[in-house]
Amino acid sequence: MESTQQAKTTAVKGTDTAREVRALVKNIYKSAHEAKANGKKVAYFMVASQYDEVIRAMDVIPLPTENYAGLCAAKRDMDRFLLKAEADGYSQVLCSYARIGLGFDSLRKELGRIPDNSPDGGMPAPDMMLGSSAVCDPRFKWYQAASRYLDVPTFGMDVVAPPPQDDLNEVRDYYIQYQRDQVQGLIDFLEAQTGKKLDKERLWECIRLGDKAWQLWYDIDRLRVAVPSPMPSQDHFSIMVAGHYYAGTQIAVDFYQKLYDEVKYKVDHKIGVIPDEKYRILYGGGLPPWHTLWIFNYFESFGAVFVIENVYRGFDPVEVPSHVKDPVDYLAWRAFLRYTAYHEKARARSGNPTVEKLLGMIEDYQIDGVVFHACRSCRATTIGQTHIKSELGKYCDLPMMQLVSDMVDLRDYSEAQWKAQIGAFIEALQARSGRR
Amino acid sequence: MSVLDKIDGLYQNRGERARKLRESGKKVIGYFCCFVPDEIITAMDMLPYRIQGSQNDPIDEADALLEPMACPFARSCFNLALKGEYDFLDGFVAPHSCDTIERMYHIWHQNKPSPFNHMINVPHMLGPSSDAFYRKELEYFIKRLEDFSGRKMDPAKLRDAVSLYNRRRELLRELYALRKENPPRVSGTEITKVLVAGMGIPADEHIELVSAFIQEVKNRPAPNPDGLPRIFIWGNEIDDAAFIQLVEECGAHVVMDDLCTGSRFFWEDVPETGDPLEALARRYICTHCPRTLKPQAGDRQTDLENRFGYIRQFMADWKADGAIFYIVRYCDTCELEGPDLKDYLNGLKLPVLMIEDDYSTSTMGQLRTRIQAFLEMIL
Ligand code: SF4
Ligand code: SF4
Repeated sequence: MESTQQAKTTAVKGTDTAREVRALVKNIYKSAHEAKANGKKVAYFMVASQYDEVIRAMDVIPLPTENYAGLCAAKRDMDRFLLKAEADGYSQVLCSYARIGLGFDSLRKELGRIPDNSPDGGMPAPDMMLGSSAVCDPRFKWYQAASRYLDVPTFGMDVVAPPPQDDLNEVRDYYIQYQRDQVQGLIDFLEAQTGKKLDKERLWECIRLGDKAWQLWYDIDRLRVAVPSPMPSQDHFSIMVAGHYYAGTQIAVDFYQKLYDEVKYKVDHKIGVIPDEKYRILYGGGLPPWHTLWIFNYFESFGAVFVIENVYRGFDPVEVPSHVKDPVDYLAWRAFLRYTAYHEKARARSGNPTVEKLLGMIEDYQIDGVVFHACRSCRATTIGQTHIKSELGKYCDLPMMQLVSDMVDLRDYSEAQWKAQIGAFIEALQARSGRR
Repeated sequence: MSVLDKIDGLYQNRGERARKLRESGKKVIGYFCCFVPDEIITAMDMLPYRIQGSQNDPIDEADALLEPMACPFARSCFNLALKGEYDFLDGFVAPHSCDTIERMYHIWHQNKPSPFNHMINVPHMLGPSSDAFYRKELEYFIKRLEDFSGRKMDPAKLRDAVSLYNRRRELLRELYALRKENPPRVSGTEITKVLVAGMGIPADEHIELVSAFIQEVKNRPAPNPDGLPRIFIWGNEIDDAAFIQLVEECGAHVVMDDLCTGSRFFWEDVPETGDPLEALARRYICTHCPRTLKPQAGDRQTDLENRFGYIRQFMADWKADGAIFYIVRYCDTCELEGPDLKDYLNGLKLPVLMIEDDYSTSTMGQLRTRIQAFLEMIL
């Protein structure tokens, strides 16, 4: 076992509902193929770009290229795409999601069809690409680069957030105005592409569904403060599919309602992820290691459960003022409030919104240790982890560690090294619990 | 002291002049990249100082706080800051250029704060709403500077600063025009030093220096034709002459560039009519950096032309025979832009050598053979 790396990638899940996600994922790609066949428009898109509901309201079928990269890694079928992108001149250190996406597009173009045996049937060629500057730079630059392989219209939407030191009263209006203009730009683009006008009532409906799903998702996470943990992080990495790839649909609402009921049942009956929960771990940040999700079960074998995480459900529900009557304004307001939710707390103490969020989690979830995952090719989610770890150390005394690999590129991962690091971390947890 | 000695002195001892001015009571505001208008800082009677790294020094202390997969230019700057090299700064301003700079701003600000710290959000998209937003961000920046200094911005001074920097731009373009000769009387290595030397001194002093240097170059005898290839350099931050020097040592003339430390930061003027803030916002937002997305224009070929047509023009006007890309490793936007630009130039039958490097002089020797092979291929 130690000498050869595990071939299995997935983790054993804690909840039954999380097991249904596989079908949701398959359906993403199936729907895109069907939409193409039925003359509907399909768009490459980036999750968490604050524009999901607009795409749904315009009846455009979203095709998440980042998810596809993660899927390829979970199926351990990423190398052919990575290597193709590298052969086309893309650097080995470029975001590996982008490399998989570009490699896939390149192969599809070269073959004139979807590469054989692509995971979940592969991605059909989209009718358009919708990048955004939310989260990171590759998320708009990648689609521009992809036009090497796809002669389709592309659009980039800016998503802006003020730094925590800004006086929000000074900057609020123009941040919201700009966000509004950017969303409107996307709407204009989609109207031109689809030949249809946006129905604002429909947009409101999608927003209502989107908010409902995210509220339920938040409520589920609040249930997870329970001891023993009713739902582990490996489930979170699956169930986020509904919130991100089905945002603005009834499917997401129904899914989270069902999950809520299951988690609630587990809490009420004190059913934990593992029979003997010794340590409660916070996944402090970073994209998950899609190639090696079973590692979470490995932690569990020592009694350590990942009870909550700081990734994917990036925002808590926010309250947009009631004077906002237009759905486009609403989206701009919501984005602003989401991004600035921890600013005030940060200014009052650590100066850092992420540190504040994590400290809140540490307290609420009775955390014993924190684990970060640094991804070599993802600047956006990795830079700052070391700093945040050291800042956290100023306010709490917990074992913390940073595992390093990549979200999909296995060439950056060493199982032996991880196991050694985890061993040391568990010892630190043991020592600390002995002290208590 | 000859003008060359002066330039070399400023290039070698980069913070020296700024430190002196600070001792005499001037406030020094450090910033990154090409998005922060020098004009605003100058109009507030402060000295704008473009923060640089050091390709000669290993990055050691920064690694404890900043992940090694961040752009080494940014890490090097931070490393110098941690070692106290930037303690003379009264202000630290980071534009949201890229993921690395934005994330690093918070780390820097918390670990090595200056008396004044500020981040300017720079739109990634272009268009009227981006101009309007950037203008607001600049207004807010001015307000923060006013609060910090206890002084109000004088609009007349802002206009003066715009003219002053336009004057410098004009001179730098004049200097660049001298590189059109074949062979040029001025080397790419010298140009790099002239530019870097000016990044932390008052604009009028730089203007004087550049004027004197132009005279000096004009007085040089025209060199004999040597048949060496003429090279265009594309990339991001090259604030050390070592790489350009290496290319020239391998047997080439570096005649033109599109670099954050080269033509990119000074090429376009700021219009002197109308509202200066609007003019500044428009001018600075359009800086040719891959971190800004140009809206797609038509089919692939039209789009490439729209994005890179100015480079074709540069290469034609300066009669460049080929291009070398120097990409600082981990700069995602450059890594994504490079292959597109290479496609475009190759389509024009212009050869390209794409280099990804660590922003370090210690590894540079390894590039020699690749550059030599490329130059031989061109000839
Ligand atoms: S750099 Fe990170 S956040 Fe950006 S696209 Fe890649 S994986 Fe996503
Ligand atoms: S070189 Fe690239 S990654 Fe580095 S600071 Fe500049 S834009 Fe950012």
